[in-house]
Amino acid sequence: MNIIIKRSKTMAKQIWPSVLAIFFALLLSGFLLFATGHNPLRAYARLFDGAFGNLNRFAETLVKTIPILIIALGTSVAFKCKLWNIGGNGQYTVGAIAAVAVAVYVPLPYFIRIPLSLVASIVAGMIIGGGVGLLRAKMNANEVITTLMFNYIIMYFLSWLVNGPMMDPEGFGFPQTQLIPDQMKLQSIIPGTRLHFGLFLALIIVVVAFIFWKTRTGFRISLVGESHEVAQASGVSVQKHIVLTMMISAALPAIAGWIDVFGIHGRLQENLPGELGTIAIVVALLGGLNPIGIVFASLFFSALVVGGSTMQRFEGVPYSLVGIIQGLVIVFVICRVVYEEFKEKRRVKQLVH
Amino acid sequence: MSNNLYIDFMISLLAGTIRISIPILLPALGQIYTQRSGILNLGVEGIMIIGALSGFVGAFFTGSLWFGVFSAVVAGLLFSLIMGFLSITIKANQVIAGTALTILGTSLASFLYRVIFGIRKLPPIIDSFPSLNFLGLSKIPVIGPIFFNHNILVYLALFLVFFTWFVLEKTTFGLKVKAVGEFPRAADSKGIRVGLIRYICVAIGGMYAGLGGAFMSIGYMDTYMDHMIAGRGFIAVSVVIFSRWDPKRALFAALLFGGANVLQMRLQSIGVNIPNQFLLALPYVLTILVLVGVSKKVAFPSAFTIPYSRNSK
Repeated sequence: MNIIIKRSKTMAKQIWPSVLAIFFALLLSGFLLFATGHNPLRAYARLFDGAFGNLNRFAETLVKTIPILIIALGTSVAFKCKLWNIGGNGQYTVGAIAAVAVAVYVPLPYFIRIPLSLVASIVAGMIIGGGVGLLRAKMNANEVITTLMFNYIIMYFLSWLVNGPMMDPEGFGFPQTQLIPDQMKLQSIIPGTRLHFGLFLALIIVVVAFIFWKTRTGFRISLVGESHEVAQASGVSVQKHIVLTMMISAALPAIAGWIDVFGIHGRLQENLPGELGTIAIVVALLGGLNPIGIVFASLFFSALVVGGSTMQRFEGVPYSLVGIIQGLVIVFVICRVVYEEFKEKRRVKQLVH
Repeated sequence: MSNNLYIDFMISLLAGTIRISIPILLPALGQIYTQRSGILNLGVEGIMIIGALSGFVGAFFTGSLWFGVFSAVVAGLLFSLIMGFLSITIKANQVIAGTALTILGTSLASFLYRVIFGIRKLPPIIDSFPSLNFLGLSKIPVIGPIFFNHNILVYLALFLVFFTWFVLEKTTFGLKVKAVGEFPRAADSKGIRVGLIRYICVAIGGMYAGLGGAFMSIGYMDTYMDHMIAGRGFIAVSVVIFSRWDPKRALFAALLFGGANVLQMRLQSIGVNIPNQFLLALPYVLTILVLVGVSKKVAFPSAFTIPYSRNSK
């Protein structure tokens, strides 16, 4: 019993700053709404209603949560190792490309083709991630820049594919591939909505991520993130773990790409990921790099995105408000350091006196 | 293609290259200060769009283009101070702080534009800076239209290449910037205020980025659009690294990035059928290659992306 209370107390301590960050972000955006002649409470109510108002809307929110959640989990693995992987968009895209390539062009029975396409997606992600990791470990090439560059390179690669070799021959010249066979698509969980079985996959990945941080490899990765010297001194190969971390971190967005192709898109189009990669960075941070925290953070952000468009339609509040809230959330999450420093100073003062 | 057409094509290609490289060059020059002082500002993209909006609003409501330029520079400065506060005062991770700034800037600009101008069928437009002709120099065949037929901001940007080089290489301030980026502890012990220098460099970067944004809205497009920066802030970041923190090389890198862009547009418009995506992706591939070459020699400022604190090791 005591343990449970203690656990929930530490959890509350971890959650508190994120809740505060959201609160302040909503408050400040509320002022902005008020100053520009909107009613903040009505706008937020509409946003909430748009995200959770009925079964269909809630299902849409969950559909959007799936990729955000998985990409953010991938991002969090790298961030834990102090590797700043901002290539979520590119890694998602290679996963999607591999998924469609296998689904459309490999004439094997479905029960082989489906797992094969998943494997292809994961491998594609790992190759990109492993490449970035190798460049970082062996050549000291800053991963922020390489992942950013790969986002653009892969974006143009996708654009080339859907305008060229993978273009749907019966698509009237639209820049898109043909649809994957219907039998391969992820089935809907709730009939009449777009919510698909990918949700369960996402939940499995959350559980795996949760367990992963308790394994030796997970511990080593966070150790490398804490300090290269300490890791080296305890016999953990820093270089090897940098490559490994980047491979895992890139494989997850690739899986998200696979799920979205089989769950909703059904084909490749230009600029498939949109702003998922950026949102995932915010979510990983807001969730405190903790799998459970990331679940809630991704649900919150997905609700913002889905509810935001309803808000725009019915209240005339520009959708960009959602982005303002996102940006402010990061700013306030960062700012909690100030508060902690303030507490520390006060503690030191009390000790001195 | 006949000879005349070929010359026309080359003229429009080269003139276009110069024009389109300016909104990459300006933020890149600013980021040279910022990165030299040890800070990677991924928020340039957000600062640029804020600059584009402020420049347009300033020019639209006063009728003065130069007031637009002024408001863009001030807005860029103020907005970049958020980055300064987060990365210097709070010592937050710069990647995350920069991401926040980009999201915030992009959304805020879009929001404010909608609030100020409402929803319109046609976007509000202004007359942007006219082309100079330098007492008829622009009439010289070939050379004229390529080099002497741009607006004043283009020449201002080219002057800033020299100016940035001069400040960084020939002044005490430039020396301090490099000291702070390379050896913050030593700089601190010599009485250089590390935090202050970094704040100034972030602010300068913000001013250049604001100007770069304004170039898009009041020096290139005559109007404001939400997606008009279109990743140029991030391109500027890679230009800085591609040019290894050197303003003169940044000019050539910006021309290369701009040139690839113009070439693919021109080739497409005359119906040459090569995959333009490869041309567009080329600069990014080259950046990675340069990065790999550079990183081995460890030419990055040693304190790159590392917050400075007196208390910690």
